[in-house]
Amino acid sequence: MASSKASRLGEEVWKTRMDKVNAELVVLTYGTIVAQLCKDFDSDYIEVNKQLDKMGYNIGLRLIDDYLAKSNTMRRCSNFRETAEMIARVGFKIFLNITPTVTNWTSDGKQFSLIFDENPFADFVELPDDGRAQDELWYSNILCGVLRGALEMVQMQVEAHFVSDVLRGNDTTEMRVTLIRYIDDELPPEDD
Amino acid sequence: MATTIPSIACLGVIGRNNNPLHTSIFPSYDPATNSLRPVRTPLQFSLILSSTLDIFDLRARQNAAAGVGLTGDLGLLHAVDDRLAAYGFETNTGTRFVVVVDMRGRRVDGAAAAAAAQTGAAEGSSKRVAGAATGLREGEMRPVFKAMQAAYIQLMQNPFFEPDEHSPPAGQGGKRITSKKFAEEMRRIGEGWTPGAVSL
Repeated sequence: MASSKASRLGEEVWKTRMDKVNAELVVLTYGTIVAQLCKDFDSDYIEVNKQLDKMGYNIGLRLIDDYLAKSNTMRRCSNFRETAEMIARVGFKIFLNITPTVTNWTSDGKQFSLIFDENPFADFVELPDDGRAQDELWYSNILCGVLRGALEMVQMQVEAHFVSDVLRGNDTTEMRVTLIRYIDDELPPEDD
Repeated sequence: MATTIPSIACLGVIGRNNNPLHTSIFPSYDPATNSLRPVRTPLQFSLILSSTLDIFDLRARQNAAAGVGLTGDLGLLHAVDDRLAAYGFETNTGTRFVVVVDMRGRRVDGAAAAAAAQTGAAEGSSKRVAGAATGLREGEMRPVFKAMQAAYIQLMQNPFFEPDEHSPPAGQGGKRITSKKFAEEMRRIGEGWTPGAVSL
């Protein structure tokens, strides 16, 4: 699917088929979750990142069906590049109303970056000033988990992680997504 | 000839338990040395801020008695001397914002100011000159308070900010605001304001 077509699809689904919820509710809820995790794990930010990723993974497993139903996509993406476009222009568009930029492809077409010009989760946020959060915490790490979970349900094993975040003082917020392999449908064991 | 116009000398944020949350001090123009330096020491500013608390309480009681609403812009709280004046604002949650204005805090080029007053073409700058002569108009501080409140709201929205640490329910102690973003915003407001400004 051409990227402009994907954009139109995302726009249309966002406008007509998505239930909307107050943005501040989402932002504050997510913020509370992260802050509470930081407290519960005694500011072990590495562990917090892991937990966020796990939560996201569980969300992704469920969200993918909603995505497929709402976007009416009946066919597979022909390659990983198309998958990336659909994630950015349809997936992120319909659930968060943002369209991250897909860029920095590796030559083998298995690794790309999503650049987030805006990140609704990070509105108002200022990372704790304890000298470690700025280096260790990936505030929006839940998104990595969501992608991992959702793509796993459609036979793609990917690895996703943030490489920069404006909250840390970087210029951009960038997530790196790597395709590890296509999971072959395993046939049920034959009973003979 | 150089003339002076009012500028902000100090911005204070006070919690609902009368605990200091934040103080920003801004240098004023000193004609003796032709340089910028604060007109008071930090301790003296802290005392000025403390001295406004009674007036806040008094106004709140008066407003409650008169039934004109609880909070909002309280206007001029007190004039400390012929230079400094304190203005106050109280939110519905009891957080107070205090602006200490130095009536002669900033130097403007006299010739330019006079020219602007003469033509009267530039509405803002003619008001500015009038402000220097007559003091500040009613509601002059509103944009400052609005901007401070916006910054404070933004601070409260930060999930890592713990309101209870800063204004404990027990009413004792309480940390100061350490957010860099907030301090930066206060600095921007304090330095950016000029008499007649409508938004910050």
